[in-house]
Amino acid sequence: MAMVPPKPARNWPLWGGTIAFLVAMSWWSAHGIGFSLTELLCNSAGGTRLLQESWPPDFAFLPRLIDPFMETIYIAIVGTVVGGILSIPVAILAARNLTLGPIIWFADRNFMNILRTLPDLFWAMLFATAVGFGPVAGALALSVFTIAVISKLWSESLESIDMGMPEAVRACGGTWLQMVQFGAIPQGLQHYVSYALYAFELNVRASMVLGLVGAGGIGMILETQRANFEYERVTMIILAVLVAVLIIEQISESIRKRLA
Amino acid sequence: MSNNNSQGSIRFTGANIVYPNGTVGMKDLNLEIKPGEFVVIVGSSGAGKSTLLRAVNGLNRLTSGQIEVDGVAVPQKDGRELRLLRKRVGMIFQDFRLVKRLTVMSNVLIGRLAHVPGWRAMFNLWPAHDKEVAMKALERVGITEKAWIKASQLSGGQQQRVGIARALAQEPAIILADEPVASLDPVTTHQIMQDLVRINRELGITTLVNLHFLDLARKYGQRIIGLRFGELVYDGSAATVTDDDFRNIYGRDFTEDDVLDEDVID
Ligand SMILES: Nc1ncnc2c1ncn2[C@@H]1O[C@H](COP(=O)(O)OP(=O)(O)OP(=O)(O)O)[C@@H](O)[C@H]1O
Ligand SMILES: [Mg+2]
Repeated sequence: MAMVPPKPARNWPLWGGTIAFLVAMSWWSAHGIGFSLTELLCNSAGGTRLLQESWPPDFAFLPRLIDPFMETIYIAIVGTVVGGILSIPVAILAARNLTLGPIIWFADRNFMNILRTLPDLFWAMLFATAVGFGPVAGALALSVFTIAVISKLWSESLESIDMGMPEAVRACGGTWLQMVQFGAIPQGLQHYVSYALYAFELNVRASMVLGLVGAGGIGMILETQRANFEYERVTMIILAVLVAVLIIEQISESIRKRLA
Repeated sequence: MSNNNSQGSIRFTGANIVYPNGTVGMKDLNLEIKPGEFVVIVGSSGAGKSTLLRAVNGLNRLTSGQIEVDGVAVPQKDGRELRLLRKRVGMIFQDFRLVKRLTVMSNVLIGRLAHVPGWRAMFNLWPAHDKEVAMKALERVGITEKAWIKASQLSGGQQQRVGIARALAQEPAIILADEPVASLDPVTTHQIMQDLVRINRELGITTLVNLHFLDLARKYGQRIIGLRFGELVYDGSAATVTDDDFRNIYGRDFTEDDVLDEDVID
């Protein structure tokens, strides 16, 4: 009979130390950015005024949100589709078990790391200088962002597939491409669709933020209304966005659940 | 799909395989297999049965020596030449290796990959001839009526028949079967072994089968090859192999685990 080892006692000094460390770090960081509770309370009068001006939301403004909102969605869709397609070779070549050789693998891994390290706003600025501020720059930036998201997640899940089927394709005289298409992709397809939907959710949100810096869509309207002190319209926009994002995420999530 | 019985010869000359971790998988193997032979390879776990089989189609590379198929050396690097060899060598696996989500027909057509232009396979535009070859292969193993069913919905024995049909669709000169019945129940095991023997007789395809059950080796083998620590320790007719030969191959007395039907041990 195997003996069940006794449950190890909880390490109290470690727990205490960790908590003390976290508290100290938070205090230090708050101090560093000049965040102080007293100041926040003194300024609350301004905050209250802002809240009063923002209520009630301007429902009459709602119809004028439809076009910019659709533009936001279009940007997200183009970004997801273009990035989704380009991420396929990037992910496959970055999967250790499928790649074409150590040099290609290494180069592709580093390419992915660069894409991921630079934030979407950086890419928006970069493409804006190339093609001018607007929806096209936004969609290009989101394409890059999508490649970064999908290729990272998918290359990892491709690394865990069963290599039996790819080997069987090779054994029939199949090429590398056929080994990928018939041996590997059928096993990774569900994950791919799931990651693409997830990237779309992220892109809808990112596309609004990009609008703030001029990429068009709902973010741009939000920025113009804010600059004109139209706070009741701003509230309306935020509410509409909140509802729309929740709906999109619900749909996407239920599709992903069904796939899993 | 017929074989003119002059193809499918295999010759090992001083062949060695040492794995990167130092394990010897094949030791100075000299062996000649004639076209159309039905060879059963036996040996205890780790004896090098899979290593031998996978060397024939270049899935395992030699450290030294040579293997020839029909007088042409098996290429030891990836590329067109190795693909041309593999096109003529079908392989059957213990775990079937089918795409479960796809139909039986799609799985069998994978055996035609090396026969059609790449773009046709890529876009699923198979020539009528190749679809016919795939259908004939299904006919040969008696599961034509399952052609449009998803592979996941078949029993183990039926899945292995799809595996055999995929190999047949290659119109191969050689079939390699690595423990093809190890995940099947006894009744299905005999059916699949009979299928393999019948196909060998009907089409004259050289067939190499790895088995770990001695009674199966004796019953279905024509020629038996015994391996131990990567070395050839027995090569003879299945009709004359003795229990002592098996003891020698295994390096020990055999037990119920080494036979499918326990009654054959006295
Ligand atoms: N890829 C590998 N790397 C290192 N060693 C390996 C590798 N494949 C096989 N071996 C070793 O080589 C020897 C022969 O293995 P092989 O798979 O050919 O045996 P086998 O006779 O097929 O055994 P089994 O009946 O268990 O399938 C074993 O000792 C095994 O551990
Ligand atoms: Mg084996």
